[in-house]
Amino acid sequence: MVDEQNRTLPIANVGRIMKQILPPSAKLSLEAKQRMQECATEFISFVTSEASDKCHRENRKTMTGDDICRALSALGLDNYAGAIVRYLHKYREAERERVIASQNKATSSSRDEDIEESDQSGQPSLQADETPTPLMNIFI
Amino acid sequence: MRQAGTYSGMVISGKTGPHLLPLARIKKIMKKSGEEVKMISGESPIVFSKACELFIKELTQRSWMVTIKGKTRTLSKEDVASAVLATDLFDFLLNLVSQSAPAPLHPKPPN
Repeated sequence: MVDEQNRTLPIANVGRIMKQILPPSAKLSLEAKQRMQECATEFISFVTSEASDKCHRENRKTMTGDDICRALSALGLDNYAGAIVRYLHKYREAERERVIASQNKATSSSRDEDIEESDQSGQPSLQADETPTPLMNIFI
Repeated sequence: MRQAGTYSGMVISGKTGPHLLPLARIKKIMKKSGEEVKMISGESPIVFSKACELFIKELTQRSWMVTIKGKTRTLSKEDVASAVLATDLFDFLLNLVSQSAPAPLHPKPPN
């Protein structure tokens, strides 16, 4: 199965996520996984189009995580938007820590305990930082 | 060099790697969604990886509610279609599932 020539999400990954939420005794038909694969792919396209329209209207060339969050809200998917804003905040914090750590490593190796401390702080602030720092815009 | 502790502590679900969905594939799908999609920040596929996970879980849960009403234990594609039909938020998927919907509302779209 070639996952529609790589135009959809891989069925194995999709199936794994589905099983996480289903009871252990549940069975999953192959066609249901295929349908979910298509739906999730369409979800990405749909939200991306909305985010892209907004970027275009605002004359911005690069789509960011914030654009995706705003698109989710605009499309009525507020529950996802809230969770993703928090996720994005944690990701950016983790990236900041990582960059600082690698910069510190270049000078000394005595800061390793800082990284471990940040691992244990599992309580992120709910005030999402909406302006990404330049460090975060890693272009693919 | 990957600082496994810093990042994986945040996003690992405990079973698979840092992301449940491949970022390169997500990026490909994003780029295909429109000609205007040109540059994508590095965090965008990561954000979508999480958003898709939430979406798949929600749609799966809703589909399963349909499955158990039918007193079977096998989640079928018709159950997914029913869940989409029953959820306003998922109207953007109506065309996609209409082929397997129990009561098709519109003609089969060309593939």
